[in-house]
Amino acid sequence: MSLERKDEHDHKGWMESRELTPIESVYLTVLIWLDRRLRVVDYLEILEDLYYKVNMQMPKSHTEQYNLDNKFWYWYPLYALGSFSTVAYIVAAISGALLGFYYAPAAAAADGSPTVAYDSVMLIMGQLNLGYFLRSVHRWAAQIMVAAVFLHMLRVYFTGAYKEPRELNWLIGIVLISLTLVFGYTGYLLPWSQLSFWAGQIGVEMSLSIPLIGEWVAQLMFGGFTLSQATLQRMYILHVFFLPFITTAIIAVHIGIVWMQGIAEPH
Amino acid sequence: MSDNDTDDVRTDGSGTGIVSPDDETPAWSERKERTQGLSRLTYEYFERARREDQDLRQQSDYVERDVLAFPAWPHEMMRNIALTSFFVGMILFVSATLPPEMPNPANSSVTPAIILPDWYLYWSFGLLKLGPLNPELSILGGSKLMADRTYGVLANVVVVGFVAIVPFLNKGSARRPVEQPFWAAVGMSGVIFSLTIAALSIKNLVPMDSHLLFDLTFLVPIVSATITYAVLKTMREGYMFDLNRRYYRLRPPK
Repeated sequence: MSLERKDEHDHKGWMESRELTPIESVYLTVLIWLDRRLRVVDYLEILEDLYYKVNMQMPKSHTEQYNLDNKFWYWYPLYALGSFSTVAYIVAAISGALLGFYYAPAAAAADGSPTVAYDSVMLIMGQLNLGYFLRSVHRWAAQIMVAAVFLHMLRVYFTGAYKEPRELNWLIGIVLISLTLVFGYTGYLLPWSQLSFWAGQIGVEMSLSIPLIGEWVAQLMFGGFTLSQATLQRMYILHVFFLPFITTAIIAVHIGIVWMQGIAEPH
Repeated sequence: MSDNDTDDVRTDGSGTGIVSPDDETPAWSERKERTQGLSRLTYEYFERARREDQDLRQQSDYVERDVLAFPAWPHEMMRNIALTSFFVGMILFVSATLPPEMPNPANSSVTPAIILPDWYLYWSFGLLKLGPLNPELSILGGSKLMADRTYGVLANVVVVGFVAIVPFLNKGSARRPVEQPFWAAVGMSGVIFSLTIAALSIKNLVPMDSHLLFDLTFLVPIVSATITYAVLKTMREGYMFDLNRRYYRLRPPK
């Protein structure tokens, strides 16, 4: 009786008896290794089930039924706007992460002297190799994302794509467009320049003018009734922490629903 | 080890410890049937939905396919990858040619001549300047119900709220603008209004009398909506005329 454990199902022998390509055998080896420890097979069934549920079975679509492909593709550029805004979002995320290596959200004052935040943006623009380009890419990606999102909404409106099975996605889209604007606004404040400061001033006044909860909102979002270090800090955390997580998650849901329901072509 | 081939569950860590269900173990559906209250309702609904899907599959026009409408993979995705490369290139090109400026550092004691947010917030900024539309109610002795700035914030909420409930106002299967001239006109007036209200928000930059600009902000959308409506109605008449002509060519009236 040896202490060595036998391979009960002799997977190795089974693998050797078959002629497997290197890719297949590596895949099987990894799969078996994982399965011996985590019992992956049990979950694979669930995954498979999920796969078929996600790829929902639905009746023939209008374009398919009446062979309207030629007419549909003519409008295709308008149907790429949603993807385009996602692409711009990803470009902005990457360039923003790189900018974040050099940017410091600290505003000592608002008396016309350059603050830490302002100086770090100046450093990115003046000293850093390719820094000016990086900031330019971030800014333009953001602008283009907003523009693409607006046009995407118009396309959806004028082709009636928000109709019956897709109302929920329209509502999610409204949330996303608002988040995009908040993204833009918080980013606009970060350089702590004159424009940033006075845009922030308008923001404070807007939140203060909300009835009943106005002061509370101003405290929460801007850290007080006048702009200060706290404002910049909050805008920064909103811009690089809260909004990216929330927006990415909602974008995933938005695209997931499009994936399940298919793209609505005009009838 | 060959004498250890029993069905006993080994708990010494050498196996997974997972036991397959025997005949006594209730099946998933049996467990579900025994539930009560909300979970019972959920189960019943799921059963109904499953039956509905089954019926759908047995319909004559049913085709086995992956998704409703155009498949996202690979048709959409391949085109998107091509377009993605193009678009990313475009972003890089634009940002290389038109880099942003950097204004002066923040200074709370110097108000700049023009305070502006980024362009995409002009419409929202313009809605804050709707003070002249805030009614002075005689029931309140000629005073306003809410401050002008509250009114402006409320206008933002109303606009976004209206856009959000569009799918619940406009129902039915009509998709193309020609089929629904009214909603196309509403959409067109919305687009034009977002432009005119943006122009209103930067009124010190627009070379025009500010009162005239204020009036035009609301007139131009209405005019454009009317034109859109008229054009689409006419187009629809044209389509109907064509259809009718073909119909009567095939079946001449007696």
